[in-house]
Amino acid sequence: MQNRISIPIGPQHPLLKEPLSMMIDISGEKVLGGSMRLGYVHRGIERLAEQRNYIQNVLLIERVCGICSHVHTTTYCYAVEALLGIEIPPRAQYIRALMCELERIHSHLLWLGILAKHVGLETIFMHAWHDRESSLDIMEAISGGRVSHAANQIGGVSFNLDKAQAEMIRSTISNLRTQVEGLLNVIETEPALHARTQGVAPVSAEMIRQYCVVGPIARASGVDIDLRRDDPLPPYDQLEFKVITHADGDAWARTLVRAQETRESLNLCDTIMRDMPDGEVLVRAPRKVPPGEAIIRSEAPRGEVFYYLRSDGSENPARVKIRTPTLSALSMIPAQLAAIQVADIPVVLAGIDLCVACADR
Amino acid sequence: MERLKKRFSLLSAIIDALIEPPETVGYPFTKLELPETYRGAIVIDPEKCTGCGLCVRDCPAQGLELVKKSRHEFKLIHYPARCAYCGQCSISCRRKAISHSNQLVGSTSNPEALVVVLKEKEDEEQG
Repeated sequence: MQNRISIPIGPQHPLLKEPLSMMIDISGEKVLGGSMRLGYVHRGIERLAEQRNYIQNVLLIERVCGICSHVHTTTYCYAVEALLGIEIPPRAQYIRALMCELERIHSHLLWLGILAKHVGLETIFMHAWHDRESSLDIMEAISGGRVSHAANQIGGVSFNLDKAQAEMIRSTISNLRTQVEGLLNVIETEPALHARTQGVAPVSAEMIRQYCVVGPIARASGVDIDLRRDDPLPPYDQLEFKVITHADGDAWARTLVRAQETRESLNLCDTIMRDMPDGEVLVRAPRKVPPGEAIIRSEAPRGEVFYYLRSDGSENPARVKIRTPTLSALSMIPAQLAAIQVADIPVVLAGIDLCVACADR
Repeated sequence: MERLKKRFSLLSAIIDALIEPPETVGYPFTKLELPETYRGAIVIDPEKCTGCGLCVRDCPAQGLELVKKSRHEFKLIHYPARCAYCGQCSISCRRKAISHSNQLVGSTSNPEALVVVLKEKEDEEQG
């Protein structure tokens, strides 16, 4: 084709928050397609995990991702506990779930800010990131770390909640709900956001299944999957919540799904705080894990996180395999970029909610 | 009308933001208020430490080193530049000798300057 030019985006680019290299073919204002290169933040975490003991690995695996760090360690700990055949105390299960939901709120608000910034709505960006601080403050106050919480231990969690902390969580969640409702009102009614996202790069449910895409992107295309309901880790089997889906599959549907999931997660936090039983939060776990294999899946903010663990009976795991939701979403980018306008590239990339560090590991 | 009301719901927040003081703190001129549970600088209770080495064994960042000269002589060294402040040492310690304070650790261009000998025990018979 005449006038066909290729523009490089990344690995360092203002559009991207993490290193990812893309070569996008355009003709005039029309995008013809693209290709990508991954691996800029590959740290060899799976290999490193084989050289460390199970306890050290909890802290190592937390470094897979800077946003959904807690859900990774939760899944890993459940896998080790399955191999050990121990059940953690109910209060520890609830604290793990509380942290997971706070992380989902923080991840979705972070994403909303990035999308708003890319479509030129700086006010929503500032407010979303301001509101996100509340969930980070709770996590920092209860676990001791703002990003790397180190909340999980094999056999439970490393901290307990006292009455003052529980009251602080309830009041902060209540304030956060008011702020998030205000944001949702603006999102639902803001014509500039509608114009920039509606009908942009729609993805059909068939395409979602073809690329094995999971999480909010799949739910925005009408694929009703959520591991918290479909294959629940405790205590999600005892909690009631609504799985948000949308039929359109475009960037607007993804915005709505994530925004409404934030509201649902706030409700879940309230339910968890109300139903949280008293008691111990940690049981002593042996250092050596009996030989065997375990597979545990859980629902991270971006979709299914999969952990495969094989033990040979020693203090170190023989194999740790991690599958993160972003990998399948990344494979769908070239297909999504075809036949869109150049100005819509940021919306498509932001709409996916990429976590390249997760995908590269 | 409802739609119009929803659309301008952020307006009140924006007006509030003009009046309210900034959310950010002018660190280092203003003191940071860190939560009680914040995992900051490592502190040790020398009376409780027996030099068993469990903290060193579980540290994921090789931030601690135990130098053993004999059964009763040992030195526990902390390398703040390597430390991830994850709190695993305080959890692994059975005698609760090692813990975190909620103080930030200062930065330096010379990481060796921050190295701390947490405990140095010499043989009582000799020393």
